[in-house]
Amino acid sequence: MPRFATVLFLAGFAFLLFSLTLTLGFGEPPMRAGQGVLDQAVAGTGAANAVSAVLLGFRGLDTLGELSILFAAATAGGLVLGHRRPGGDGPPAGAILQAGTRLLFPLMLVVGFYIVLHGHLTPGGGFQGGVILAAAFFLPVLAGTGAGPDHALLRVVEGLAGTVFILIGLAALWTGGVFLEPLLVDRGALHELFSAGTLPLLYLAVGLKVGAELAGLLAHMARAGGGEA
Amino acid sequence: MDAYIGPLLFLGAAGLLAIGVVGMLLSNHLFRMVLALVIAEAGVNLMLVLAGYRWDAVAPILQPGVAAQPMVDPIPQALVLTAIVIGVGVQALALTLVIRIREAYGTLDMAEVRARMEVDVAAAGGGEATGSRERPAGGRPLPGPGALPEPPR
Amino acid sequence: MMAYAVALPLVAAFLLPVLHNASRWLGILVGPAALVAVLLVVFQSWQPAVLPFAMDLGGFAPPWGITFYVDALALLFCGAVALMTLLLWPRDEGDGDADALVRRRSLTLLLAAAAAGLALSGDLFNIYVFYELAAVASYGLAAERGTPAAYAAAFRYLMLSALGSVIALAGIAIIYFETGTLNLAHLSLLAGELQGPTGMAAFLCLLVGFGVKAELFPVNAWVPEVYGVTTRRTAGLLAGLVSKLAVLVLVRLLVLVFPQEGLRDALLLLGVLGLIGGELAAWKARDMTRMLAFSSIGQLGLVFVAFSLPGTAGLVAGIVVAVHHMVLKPGLFLLAGQWGGGLRGLAGAARRAPLAGLLFVLFALSLVGLPPLPGFWAKFLVLTGLAGQGGGLGWLAMVAILVATVLEVSYLFRLAGRLYSRGDDEVPAAATGGGTVTAGVFGALVVAAVVFAPALWDEVQDMGAGAGDAALYVRTVGPMVPTMISGGAP
Repeated sequence: MPRFATVLFLAGFAFLLFSLTLTLGFGEPPMRAGQGVLDQAVAGTGAANAVSAVLLGFRGLDTLGELSILFAAATAGGLVLGHRRPGGDGPPAGAILQAGTRLLFPLMLVVGFYIVLHGHLTPGGGFQGGVILAAAFFLPVLAGTGAGPDHALLRVVEGLAGTVFILIGLAALWTGGVFLEPLLVDRGALHELFSAGTLPLLYLAVGLKVGAELAGLLAHMARAGGGEA
Repeated sequence: MDAYIGPLLFLGAAGLLAIGVVGMLLSNHLFRMVLALVIAEAGVNLMLVLAGYRWDAVAPILQPGVAAQPMVDPIPQALVLTAIVIGVGVQALALTLVIRIREAYGTLDMAEVRARMEVDVAAAGGGEATGSRERPAGGRPLPGPGALPEPPR
Repeated sequence: MMAYAVALPLVAAFLLPVLHNASRWLGILVGPAALVAVLLVVFQSWQPAVLPFAMDLGGFAPPWGITFYVDALALLFCGAVALMTLLLWPRDEGDGDADALVRRRSLTLLLAAAAAGLALSGDLFNIYVFYELAAVASYGLAAERGTPAAYAAAFRYLMLSALGSVIALAGIAIIYFETGTLNLAHLSLLAGELQGPTGMAAFLCLLVGFGVKAELFPVNAWVPEVYGVTTRRTAGLLAGLVSKLAVLVLVRLLVLVFPQEGLRDALLLLGVLGLIGGELAAWKARDMTRMLAFSSIGQLGLVFVAFSLPGTAGLVAGIVVAVHHMVLKPGLFLLAGQWGGGLRGLAGAARRAPLAGLLFVLFALSLVGLPPLPGFWAKFLVLTGLAGQGGGLGWLAMVAILVATVLEVSYLFRLAGRLYSRGDDEVPAAATGGGTVTAGVFGALVVAAVVFAPALWDEVQDMGAGAGDAALYVRTVGPMVPTMISGGAP
């Protein structure tokens, strides 16, 4: 019987979605807020990448909330999985895997930090780069050549990176602005690495935080998967 | 051409969303439910991106030495970035829970997990599983602990 | 200033694990200190002369940036968030797992930050982000006990809630398709564009999405499962606080963006179904925890019925019912935790713990609605509002409320009779201590509401009038550039 109600709900939902196809307009969005954001992005944040300007400037609070969600997920994941001994090791990694891991690790670090630090100029930013950083640190675990990142260190990094993000936001408040207002925007020319004021710093905090959270979550899961599961 | 491609793209996104929602509600396998969640989130993210798309525009990034052109709405793109990261967090947490459930109950079958959970919840509350024929709370005393099904380990 | 209400708990949550490793006392103190600071900020901002005011976060004018809208209602909820989180602060469950305790406290702080954000935010997507933060934190708290049942219940809760979130996000996408903005004040100006079936669809999506946390009728299957497996403190926090903030979000949407009559009727109907379904299930429940969980569904049904009433009267009734339940339910959950929840331990429990028994009777009487107690005023306001509105649905709702009251009397006093029954020499379930004192604080709040009723009444009237005034909201948030009201793409 609940099945029937579910199917009924699904049918209604699908009908709703497909009837929207006929009523929504495509390709010509109203851009009521979007156009203003595009017009002010450079003056307001100094970032050439308008998406980054939205993420860290116009909607910085969303980004803070999103970092908090990752933190909450990592904390809850740790709470669920607890501290457990690493399970039985898999078969030892072969020479190719070991060499490949060692070769890739520095490359991934460089690419990750490059993407984090150029987020205000080119596509990319703290999230994308942070994921690559997390993958770099997680690679040895996947290849079976290392124990993965140190948990205590990850905690310090994620705690401090999140705090730095909020402190940069509060710094604006203390200097007479509003919470999360971009600072020092007029220093540096457009399209240069050291431009857009505090945005690259914020992105660095975001990148480190995302990297640490994801690496922590993955390490927890790898440890849990080590046993019989 | 444009008149058809917009609805078509939307149908794709909405279809993914519908497939995901159907999977979450009708699947009886914990891991497939998580996968269905991933599909549904992909669909809704595509819908968001489409909400800010313009046919005649370029990506909202100023290139050095390129004259200003119409750009697509940057807000939905930022929203999607946020939504994707939120989704990743939720999915990871769901998987950690799946790992633990699999360890505790030895199964990934939703109906079985649910049945055993209800027995456990009732035992923890000191009452009986739903569907018991005993009188409700505050009535006469419940039968001794022996009458409760032992939570299987 | 109000940004601190969100920022301080977040910083405390981020730093808690680090500080805990550095110094034990610092780890214990940082969370409550942040919450006390939030309380101070709320008290400082509570100046009727300056309320309501809006804050443009990031210094970008609406609708480009994110707006915080601070009115008496938002401040009330912010203060309630900090106070309730302090009172229901996770305690050591005696399992000696310091790491898990730190994590639970971190999650509680994140929940507090998210709840404050939900109360203040004036931006649709920002609300979604804070809602998700509250959701993820509560998934973790739902699994805090670490029993297999807790994992299973948390997973089912996560799946239902994630389904709701996906659908809510689809609703936000539809709204953005139609209007191209997310600011609630801007949307309020553009509400005309959301009058049609598309807007209706968007609202239904948002209703399903935010309704999950608000224990709305069709999407509340998680309630008895989760409250049955968490600590009673978490159950109190979720039932008392998080559900009310989800309701607050829906009310803001109804007032500002979707003032259509038909939507109110839909809300009324869902509320009635939740009310009757919840109270019936509570009547049939066989242990105190689940009785309270189902009763919570019923009470939130009543909240929805109240908020579905038109105009200021509906908002006033809704605020009274919501705040009343917000104070009562955690108190009742704490008492249930004290008695172990199981019926076998309940026989004669009140004779062994007179204060706790007295508190239970006080809460029960108020929940039922005995005249001087605030519960009476809550139900009275809803009933008079419904009588004034009339109509078939209104009468149906009135009958439903009266039937629900009869059910409440029946199950609450059956339980009270059991608590005071004599002759049972069974050993009570192990008392965990501390719960009665906190429940006593909630009891004191109920008594205070009786004593200060006239003053509170004026305050609530102003609050309801302010919250129901969409024009005031738009005026406070600030002037939108005229072209953005009418204009489309250049």
